[in-house]
Amino acid sequence: MKSFNFWIIALLFAVTSCTIDKTDYEAETGSEVPESYEFKEAASFINGNYKITIDALNGIFYKGYNELHLKIVNTQNNQELTSSAVTFLPILSNADGSKSSCPHEYNLAYDLTNKYYIGYSVFTGESSTTASWKLYISFTADNQKYEINKDISVAQQPNKNLNMTAFAGNDGEQYVIALISPQKPTVSENPLVAGVYKYNKPTTPAGTFPDPTQFSYTEVVGYTLKLDPRMPEPSMGNHSSPNNKDLTQGNDGLYHGVVNYTMTGNWTLNLIMMNQNGLIVKGTVVPTDHTPGVEGVKSELYIDTLF
Amino acid sequence: MGMSVTAQNQHAHHDSIKNLEEVTVKNAAKKKIETEMKMAVSVDEFLSSSENISFIKRGAYAWEPLLNNMSTERSTVTIDGMHVFGACTDKMDPITSYVESNNLAAIDIKSGQEGSLHGSTIAGSIDLKRKSTPFGLQKKWNGTYQTGFEFNNKQFFNLGNISYSGTKFVADGSISYRTADNYHDGNNNEVKHSQYNKFNTSLGFAYKTSDLSSLRLDAIFDVAKDVGYPALPMDLWLSRALITSASYKQLFEEGLVRVVDTKVYFNAIEHYMDDTTRPENLVHMDMPGWSTTYGLVSKANLKRNNYSSEIQLNAYDNLSIAEMRMYPQDRSERTMFAYSWPWVTTRFAGLSMNNSWELSERSTVNLGGSFGVNYNYSKYIEFNWIFHPGAPQEKTRFLPSLNASYQLNIDQFNFSVGTGYGHRAPSVSEGYGYYIYNSFDRYDYIGDPNLKNEISYEGNASAGFANERLSIQGKINYFYIDNYIIGKILSLGSPMNYQSVGVKGYTSLDYATLLNMSANVSYDILKHLHWKGTLTYARGMDNKGGNLPFIRPLSYLTSLHYMYKNFGIQTSVNGDFEQINYSPEYGEDLTAAYAIWNISADYSFAINKVRSTIQIGAENVLNEYYSTYADWGNIPRMGRNIFTSLKLNF
Repeated sequence: MKSFNFWIIALLFAVTSCTIDKTDYEAETGSEVPESYEFKEAASFINGNYKITIDALNGIFYKGYNELHLKIVNTQNNQELTSSAVTFLPILSNADGSKSSCPHEYNLAYDLTNKYYIGYSVFTGESSTTASWKLYISFTADNQKYEINKDISVAQQPNKNLNMTAFAGNDGEQYVIALISPQKPTVSENPLVAGVYKYNKPTTPAGTFPDPTQFSYTEVVGYTLKLDPRMPEPSMGNHSSPNNKDLTQGNDGLYHGVVNYTMTGNWTLNLIMMNQNGLIVKGTVVPTDHTPGVEGVKSELYIDTLF
Repeated sequence: MGMSVTAQNQHAHHDSIKNLEEVTVKNAAKKKIETEMKMAVSVDEFLSSSENISFIKRGAYAWEPLLNNMSTERSTVTIDGMHVFGACTDKMDPITSYVESNNLAAIDIKSGQEGSLHGSTIAGSIDLKRKSTPFGLQKKWNGTYQTGFEFNNKQFFNLGNISYSGTKFVADGSISYRTADNYHDGNNNEVKHSQYNKFNTSLGFAYKTSDLSSLRLDAIFDVAKDVGYPALPMDLWLSRALITSASYKQLFEEGLVRVVDTKVYFNAIEHYMDDTTRPENLVHMDMPGWSTTYGLVSKANLKRNNYSSEIQLNAYDNLSIAEMRMYPQDRSERTMFAYSWPWVTTRFAGLSMNNSWELSERSTVNLGGSFGVNYNYSKYIEFNWIFHPGAPQEKTRFLPSLNASYQLNIDQFNFSVGTGYGHRAPSVSEGYGYYIYNSFDRYDYIGDPNLKNEISYEGNASAGFANERLSIQGKINYFYIDNYIIGKILSLGSPMNYQSVGVKGYTSLDYATLLNMSANVSYDILKHLHWKGTLTYARGMDNKGGNLPFIRPLSYLTSLHYMYKNFGIQTSVNGDFEQINYSPEYGEDLTAAYAIWNISADYSFAINKVRSTIQIGAENVLNEYYSTYADWGNIPRMGRNIFTSLKLNF
């Protein structure tokens, strides 16, 4: 009977232990993607009786697309200002003194349900010793216009799934494409959301700085982004996925499509941007051949992702 | 086969409880685990001596048994009725690789729907029957030891068995170890990555709880390490199986119900592939797999007058998981991960019945049927959605089956006709597989959760003649299979595995047909000189008249066996004709004809009370260089192999 007991114990031990542990899939897909996004205060300004706070994800302005929530509070009575005309303008100053902006919402609308002014800014570069960002904000209160500005810091985008690209189209216009969603892709069909913006070349001479007409961007209307996702890793031999959908503009002004990721790792979203008339504004067709050992050829227009 | 079961019942009845466990042994005695040529064989070698079994070979180890020229998805392979599922997406581990010849008593093969007793099937069933010693043998302790050496691949094996038979308590134990180097083909070239190492042990205890009942516990533990698969781009680092069961058997001396045998079981398999042995591979990959099954099998044997029946309840729950992780060339970069089996649960419950009426001394009618419910759940269904958007995460299928046969014996002639109808559910790979690389046709395979059930319509017939010296038996069966599942090239997606040339999806053909024929003749030329011959032919076609893959061409086996006193000598020639009906679509090419000559001699003697047999022989005596239609990637088979073995019974 002793040997019997021993056998049972040995059995139980063998049953309960695997030689190699199974992969924790939830942890696996999250390992390359920064976690827990919530809106926190990224900047605050005080002007007279008013305090302005801007909330961004994680309380940090990142390169790429940033959704912004802005609040104005009267510090005297703690009342929030809800019917003000608020303008928002980010300006990038380079070492040579040149100034430029980036895609942004200039006139911020008040969101009644969430109780903040909502806008966005697609910062096209990180703050550095030679490039600094400044926010120019104006609002009205008590029939008076308040204007303030403040230096901010734009950090590197830690999430490659929120990458962006800025480029000149074949039509000579300046464009920006920024990924907005999914922030945390999975091996599956992922709804893909991107913002597509165009710089409006000024038609009038510059007025007093900052003159918004010199720094105007708008959402591009009615274009199509043809999508061909591929894994650039040489050993993957230009691997792609099926059933992807090109991005087209939705009612929210953003561009929506579908990307299928067949496995975790580095992916390249190869894009071809076409205007309303089907003319190619930017982008090239990539080879579809299976080329083991050779890094995949990228389109002239692409955004890399990683998860 | 239904007949032999009936015989068992009668046996149990007459001998009452004294020989409770002997019933199975009686049956086993007819089917010793050895072949004509070789007394110490592996499970695969033994199976291949059955004419309706052929093998897909990916190397020297773990051959995939094809029953009626159909792959393992279409047959049920069980160990004492227990369902066990391999954990390798590349079929490196058929269930037959987790047992060893010295813990088996017999292998029970049933063709077509006759095999539906163990669960839904198309091709039939293969049940590996374990050894179990009866209670109260006169000789309490029994043991066997076998050892041998095979020169071609330096295979060395040691197999030991011991059993104790008391009036109340019985114990069986076995232990074995095989180790082999690379084998050499007919040109004396080494076939790299064809080595293997296998350890297997089993234990069984039975306790007689009353005059008519007993409780039995069984376990098999199997480890294979460092196994090469020359036909695949990967080898095996480790596979491990634990197969356990507890059963309770109750006999009844009177009434309709004679035996009820109920068993609960659990088995866990883990399988880890290894490509570090293949530096030529561009991509390093980890491919672990796990398969865990819980189940219940309960069987009752009924008998009244000329009617006998077998009723079996099968229920199991299996979870199959397979991962793949590809490593980028720059190892500091992110690895790439996906599931090739995204945590797929299969639950099955089915009730089967086989009834048999002896209409007269000469004729018997068998009627059987089963009804099963098969449920699948894919935990990470989003993997399957990439190719099949919106496919259901859960799927329930109903699997009915019916079979009927009539047997007639007139003097020295025997005839039988039968028919069958049955459904099967797609396998885990067929339903939920994700980028499973098939190195035969070099495609990545994608499962489809929406596949329809495969439905088989089957007819079979046999005729035979036997007298004291001559026996002739001819068999034929024909399958018409609706929704035949096979891989078709997909126009979407691109390969994930670097060796792959494209993506195939499991799809249903409208139908496919399969014909199997065999003829057996045996003749006693002299009292001690016996001749045997077998001829088999099969033809498989899809709905457009194209050939199905892995269908055995016309093949033959002829053998002579001479015995004189304690001395025996046997020789055989077997071969295939040219495989004319090959399928280029599935990666096949024309396989040439071959013929292999084997010879062996044995001598039996006794030292004290130890009965001993020694054998020496050679397979492929002429060192022919060949590969068969079912050799994965046309890897050459083993060249001349001299084998020796010694068996001691005490």
